[in-house]
Amino acid sequence: MSNNQQIFEDWLEGKLTEQQCQQQLQFDPVWLDRMLNVQAMRADAAAPRFEVVPEFDSSALFAKQWQRPKPQRSWWPQVSLALSCVAMIISLSPAQLQLKDGSLTLSWQNTEAEVNAAVSTALTAYQHEQQQWLLQQLDFQQQNTSTQLVLLKDYLQNELKHDQRSDMLLLVEYLNQQRQSDWQYWQENYQPVQANYRPTDSYYLSPTNTGVVKP
Amino acid sequence: MFKRSDESLIAKALNGDQHAWQQLVNRHQSALFYFGLRLLGSQEDASDLLQDVLMVMCRNLGQYRGDSSFKSWLFGIANYRAMDMLRRRKYTDSDDALAEMPAEAAEMPEQLATQQQQQQVQQQLRKLPIEQRLVLELKFYQQFTFDEIATQLAISSNTVKSRFYAALDKMRLQLESDHVEQSANF
Repeated sequence: MSNNQQIFEDWLEGKLTEQQCQQQLQFDPVWLDRMLNVQAMRADAAAPRFEVVPEFDSSALFAKQWQRPKPQRSWWPQVSLALSCVAMIISLSPAQLQLKDGSLTLSWQNTEAEVNAAVSTALTAYQHEQQQWLLQQLDFQQQNTSTQLVLLKDYLQNELKHDQRSDMLLLVEYLNQQRQSDWQYWQENYQPVQANYRPTDSYYLSPTNTGVVKP
Repeated sequence: MFKRSDESLIAKALNGDQHAWQQLVNRHQSALFYFGLRLLGSQEDASDLLQDVLMVMCRNLGQYRGDSSFKSWLFGIANYRAMDMLRRRKYTDSDDALAEMPAEAAEMPEQLATQQQQQQVQQQLRKLPIEQRLVLELKFYQQFTFDEIATQLAISSNTVKSRFYAALDKMRLQLESDHVEQSANF
């Protein structure tokens, strides 16, 4: 590559200005002519063009080549989500929608006071309920105790009767045994004596070998 | 305003974005049309070339890998298609394009002078062999470097330079002969 070519190409690439290039190539008419031609072409390239660029509808071509049918999207999930969000916002915000006497009213409530009142009402109701329950429990307990006392009394009475009866039976048995013992003693000790002694006018039958003889 | 890069528009277009595709086309179609107009000489041929290049670009958009700039890749296609058209139609030089220049384009004397100068440059370019004309077109009208031109035309950088200087010398000789003719006419 000659020196002039290097200078010329530096100018083409913008490393040298036009004046610098002309100054360095002033003694070489060939390179100066080349430079003039380049300047003329640059001017031509920079000049505006007036020809109308034809309209070419390439959208159909593109659609055929690259566009895919859009997936059918259902909007219901999005609508459902949006409505859920709205419902959540309404429930969390102090705004209240009230349908009363055929009219819809949007009102802003003091949430803290309302919550306090609601808590107070709930506590009162709970306290009342607990008191009622305690009273019921006490009543039930008393009834239960009374029933148990009656049952205990009946039981004790029954037991007492049973014991008394047993004692009486034992007494009767004892008495019977005593009488049996007395009778046996009497038979053994007094009956023979008594058998031998009979007054003449005794009414009682006296045994004979032939049977009973009435007086 | 923020301008999206060609690569970003290509990525969107490959995902089916029609708007990105249209932006890409709008960005490059003027350059392609005027390239065709200068090289082929008539509006019909330039329009055919533009349509042809856009079709090829659409079909092969997915093959752009980003190794060079998108404009360079696009003009690689345009060069090939233009050369192909010239070979097939056995293109002969004509002044059709100059004849189609709108008359209202230059009304002031300065504009008239500029237009005459442009016509002279265009005529000189038209007389060059197509390979040399293509190098000058890509160098001065599309602002590509010698290396980019070499890549687009699949030739070496030195071949591009030799065609470039040969074209400049031929233009100089044409200018000299034109001057001689004009002097003889006077």
